[in-house]
Amino acid sequence: MDEGTNLPVDEQGIIEGCLQGSPASNRAMVEAYGNLVLSVALNVVGNRQDAEDICQETFLQVFRRLDRYDRERSFKTWLLTIAYRRSLDMLRKKKRFTEFSVKARFDPAVAGRGGDPHSADPEPLPSKLLEALSPRERTALCLWAYEGYTAKDISDVLACSASTARVYLFNARRKIKALLENDHGLLQNG
Amino acid sequence: MDFCKTVEIAYAALPLRPFRDWLIRAHMEQCPRCQAGLLSREEAKCLLVGPDRVGGTGALWGRIAGEAGRVAAVPERKPARGALAWRWASAASMAAVIALTGFWLLRETERPGFDARAVAPAERFQIDYVNVGGAPAQTFVYRPQGTDTVFIWASRTPEKEG
Repeated sequence: MDEGTNLPVDEQGIIEGCLQGSPASNRAMVEAYGNLVLSVALNVVGNRQDAEDICQETFLQVFRRLDRYDRERSFKTWLLTIAYRRSLDMLRKKKRFTEFSVKARFDPAVAGRGGDPHSADPEPLPSKLLEALSPRERTALCLWAYEGYTAKDISDVLACSASTARVYLFNARRKIKALLENDHGLLQNG
Repeated sequence: MDFCKTVEIAYAALPLRPFRDWLIRAHMEQCPRCQAGLLSREEAKCLLVGPDRVGGTGALWGRIAGEAGRVAAVPERKPARGALAWRWASAASMAAVIALTGFWLLRETERPGFDARAVAPAERFQIDYVNVGGAPAQTFVYRPQGTDTVFIWASRTPEKEG
């Protein structure tokens, strides 16, 4: 069983198939790991459209570079590392666009291609509280909460030391807890 | 409790991130009270969007399928590595040519008996003076255009009258 996706995954078989260019194996890989990658991307960037773009780019990069994957390492961690880097790229791109739109007095919220705000069945988005965290902290929190990753696993994805990953996780859990307690206090007092 | 407060103050006051990271890590790992105050996994799951809540992968595969086919049909070009090697080779050969030329020039100019005037422009013709009958003569130097021939016309300088 693959933790997080709850799907039985013949990982090596899928990888072999993808290496031979089999569309069925490509599809199997997207079905096995698509939700996981989409979830991580969504929690990091906080926007469904961007998360789907990241997911698409991640899998295309995986299909192109699968021959460089080191079989000694966890495939899921390698995949999540690519997804994380793509998410950072997207955030940088968005930041540049926001700076440009501020200069050009242009409202990206109006002209952007975000989801329909009046949709009857809005797609789930991560809590606004997560905006208090850095992308690294959000990624660490997401991997820890849903994938059960340890600091060592998180450090592989974030390309840092295990102790640094532990600090990211501590900070994320501490900050969000403080915000939750603050919100709770406000509700009780107000 | 007081110690935890002190750590928090120190954390906020420390200017360098490595020190702050070390402090928070060392304290959090040893303080059961602070550990109990951290966000739990269940609380985190409520705030995040898990893989089970993002929806099916059908639409996702629809987006990827077309592009994936194109990726499979066109093998990844690797011009960067070749171009990089080519660029390195050109730069190295250029540097070698410059170094060898410099070394040769240096050796030529430093060797004993080298006369800088000998490397003066070859087409420059120069005479200091011409004597006719023991006295400096009137001298005319003429070089026809487009040839290497030089004619020198020298005649006795007429004596001044009076």
